[in-house]
Amino acid sequence: MRNVVLGGLLLTGVAASVPAQAQDTVRIGLVQPLTGSVAYNGKSVVEGARLAVEDMNAAGGVLGKKIELIVEDGQCTPANSVNAVEKLVQKDKVVTLVGAFCSSATAAIMPVAQKYKLPLITGVSSKASLTEQGNPYFFRAAETDALMAEAFAKILANDLKLTKVAYIGVNDDWGRGGVEEFSRDLTALGVKTVLTEYFDHGATDFFTLLTKLRAAKPDGVFVAAETQDGSILVKQIREMGLDTKVFGVGSWATADFINLTGEAAEGIHAAVPYASSMDTPRNQAFVQKYQAKYGIKPGKYGAAGYNALNIAGQAIARAGGTDAEAIRASLAKTSYEAPNGVYKFTDKGQAYGFEAVLVRIEKGEPKVIASTPVDAPH
Amino acid sequence: MDLFPQFLANGLVMGVFYALSALGLTLIFGLMRVVNFAHGEFYMLGGVSGWFVTNHLGLDFFSGLIVVAAFMAAVGWLVDRFLIERVRGQGEEPGILLTIGLSIFLVNGTLLLVGPAPMKVAGAMAEGPLFFGPIAVTKLRLLAVAVGIALIVGAHLLIRRTRLGAAMRATFQDPMAASLAGIRTGHVYAATFALGCTLAALSGMLLASIYSAQASVGGLISLKSFVVVILGGMGSFAGAIAGGLLLGVAEAMWGGYVSMGMVDVIGFVLVILILLFRPQGLFSIRTERA
Amino acid sequence: MTLERNILLAFLAGAALLPFAVTDQYILHLAIMALFYAVLASSLNLVVGYVGEFSLGHTAFLGTGAYTAALLSTQAGMPMWVTIPLAGLVSAVFGFAIGAITLRLQGPYFVIVTLSFAEVLRIVANNWIAVTNGPMGLAGVGQNLFGDVAVTDKAGFFLIVLGIAAVALYFSYRFVYSNAGRAAVAVRENRYVAQSIGVDPFGTAMQAFVLGAFLAGLAGGFYAHYISFVGPEVFRFAFMATMIIMVLLGGKGTLIGPLAGAVIVTVLEEYLREVQELRLTLFGLIVMAIVLFLPNGLMGFIALRREQQAAKPTLNAAKERTV
Repeated sequence: MRNVVLGGLLLTGVAASVPAQAQDTVRIGLVQPLTGSVAYNGKSVVEGARLAVEDMNAAGGVLGKKIELIVEDGQCTPANSVNAVEKLVQKDKVVTLVGAFCSSATAAIMPVAQKYKLPLITGVSSKASLTEQGNPYFFRAAETDALMAEAFAKILANDLKLTKVAYIGVNDDWGRGGVEEFSRDLTALGVKTVLTEYFDHGATDFFTLLTKLRAAKPDGVFVAAETQDGSILVKQIREMGLDTKVFGVGSWATADFINLTGEAAEGIHAAVPYASSMDTPRNQAFVQKYQAKYGIKPGKYGAAGYNALNIAGQAIARAGGTDAEAIRASLAKTSYEAPNGVYKFTDKGQAYGFEAVLVRIEKGEPKVIASTPVDAPH
Repeated sequence: MDLFPQFLANGLVMGVFYALSALGLTLIFGLMRVVNFAHGEFYMLGGVSGWFVTNHLGLDFFSGLIVVAAFMAAVGWLVDRFLIERVRGQGEEPGILLTIGLSIFLVNGTLLLVGPAPMKVAGAMAEGPLFFGPIAVTKLRLLAVAVGIALIVGAHLLIRRTRLGAAMRATFQDPMAASLAGIRTGHVYAATFALGCTLAALSGMLLASIYSAQASVGGLISLKSFVVVILGGMGSFAGAIAGGLLLGVAEAMWGGYVSMGMVDVIGFVLVILILLFRPQGLFSIRTERA
Repeated sequence: MTLERNILLAFLAGAALLPFAVTDQYILHLAIMALFYAVLASSLNLVVGYVGEFSLGHTAFLGTGAYTAALLSTQAGMPMWVTIPLAGLVSAVFGFAIGAITLRLQGPYFVIVTLSFAEVLRIVANNWIAVTNGPMGLAGVGQNLFGDVAVTDKAGFFLIVLGIAAVALYFSYRFVYSNAGRAAVAVRENRYVAQSIGVDPFGTAMQAFVLGAFLAGLAGGFYAHYISFVGPEVFRFAFMATMIIMVLLGGKGTLIGPLAGAVIVTVLEEYLREVQELRLTLFGLIVMAIVLFLPNGLMGFIALRREQQAAKPTLNAAKERTV
């Protein structure tokens, strides 16, 4: 009997993978981590993406059809992300792919997208080399660490009067990239490096690291960490009785981060490509819609999902059909008016033109203190 | 050298935390011999339900702790009666697979219910720093250390001084003889599992008030707890404390004087070395036979 | 024995026809992953099923193989026919070294010490940036089979992994039905009796362990080329959990079991995508159900049914009708 059940499952599994027939929707596939330790950020991207699709469908969809967003869990691992993409391309027949979150997963699905000649947009993965691989189907609608460092190193060094800085980053490609880029640009401005340390994602206790930090006596500490690790780290900096200025990159301009970090968040600086407090009419409208739907203000990743889907949708509309080659060509000519500025792509598929901001957390609110458009990398 | 006192203090605090989070596993893995990969998930459930009772039911920290203890004891009892009991006495494999399945189920079920965001458990007191000469700690950490030691001593006394404890020891030494002597071994197993589960959950809630609670923390906790139990010797509370302190201090020293990046490797290297030279662990008296 | 051999041969022959019968790339991709896992599960089965010790460190060999192939390909530009066998050999050397230390231990100690080795390797891979490129991983692993001949389609990769699976099954078969294999079973069933009749438990266990490491290394080498990216996550426990589930679902200590387990779990995991968010929650429940209701795996269940049927055919047939 149990054999029969298992056999039945197997058969239905194969039957279910028979390709869908004629489509009355335009399908876009989204691969994000929905389980595992980065699921928190992945879910935010999905929220933003769903909002964008809802917006576009309310405005009549594209090509006279509704857009259908198909979300798959890639768990931030290369193998699972490839599985998800194969399923999206072969079974769901999506016309454009968006994802993945972690750079390693994105690196693994890029060749798959190229093989099937489907455009792939990432709203998150920041590893610089991704756009240097000559993959014509790949577009990055996100900042890289190099671009952020270039935009803000000088402002930070002057405003915070930095002379000696310690660098702490999460031990992955993003954290390492952030630390390397910022330390290079700050060093060029004459700021001394007194400590560089990496910790593993999921670490909870930083007292040992902070003991070294205290001994190094920096007047500023750069932190590259996401909400989960970053909030605990910033909290413990204050628990150690250190009053060093804290600045860094990560999704810090969010209510969740500020709530988790509590008072320790006061006065820290974050360089982010997006903050809900950006003062533009487009952004106000976006924040309102997002808050109405999800009950919280969007953060960096919510905005990333929203932007990536809008870019994809508009490119499909301009292409006038679902031919991948046409979508790719029209993606290259993107000029998308986002809540945070205007996105355009370089020949290599790197986005530029959007605003990045430096925020300071004051009384539990992220306050924008500097804003600058991200230039094309040279 | 002036950093040494702080490194040592950090290591000792972490050591107590490690011992505390491994306590439940000392019972379930050390005594019951269930290689419990859901241990970290029991810890995680403690943190998440701690967040629920303090945040949504508005209880204060200590009443919350009691509610969580009662809830998780019930969970542990049910898990043992309905799941673990059915694979008892069949070697490690079914237990490993069963608890892996349970851990996948618990993590993802929790993700479905409360979402992936980190959750804040309001602590029992304020979080500012305290200084003892050059050493910085926080009140909350000292409290956690105190509660941790109380739990360790309490569990030890429960096993050594009560009738239930005597029944446990008898059952794990010789289940057949114990049941012949009139001990209802089924209940003893379930009670031990429930106790282990409760201890894991209490440490989860206590530490979540210092860090934060999140659905995905379990994996790392399970691994570290296995390390602590093996270092200390299976089923020994004194061993768990020694194993925890050894791991905490070794990590603090390695992280302090060598490198933070590789700090997690210490525990596993210690396990390999200990098993090579003293397979019974630091504190266990009897050697393991096949 | 002959039945087992014939089923395996029939399976391989049937599988070889698949790329000619199926053009859907998604199904081919799943078939490739299923065979990749089949090699892994078979290699783990040699340790779990025939040594009787439960290794949780098998990802050490998968990862070593994957990194070996990825490094040889990205640094020296070597083609697959060189890198994959070398990946197996390097893993076998690691298997020998790790086995020499761990196989002296038994029960829960063996479980945890093997897990520790895999974790140590993961942390080293994550931090030894000069060689492994750390968390950034090794991207762009080549896909050339001989010299400049590249494998461009899924059918090609399918045939390669099928070849590896055939090698794995052949070696497993030869081992299981050799004297060493029979000795290993004797050790598994009763260590002391086996010793008393002159079997060296350590030696036979070592043979199975090294062979298992070699086969897992081959699978790792294939993975590196097929996914074209290798990072420290190849050492992660998630792979280990998948392998264990496959071996125990199929039935340990049989050759067909891991194969069946690999196919079922791969299909099941993908099929569960249909239920979206519930996917892994259900998967956890299914794993628990397998332990409770199929304690000896599918093969154990089938063997039991065959025995029952042989014993009382009429009664059983009557039962079938009423169910």
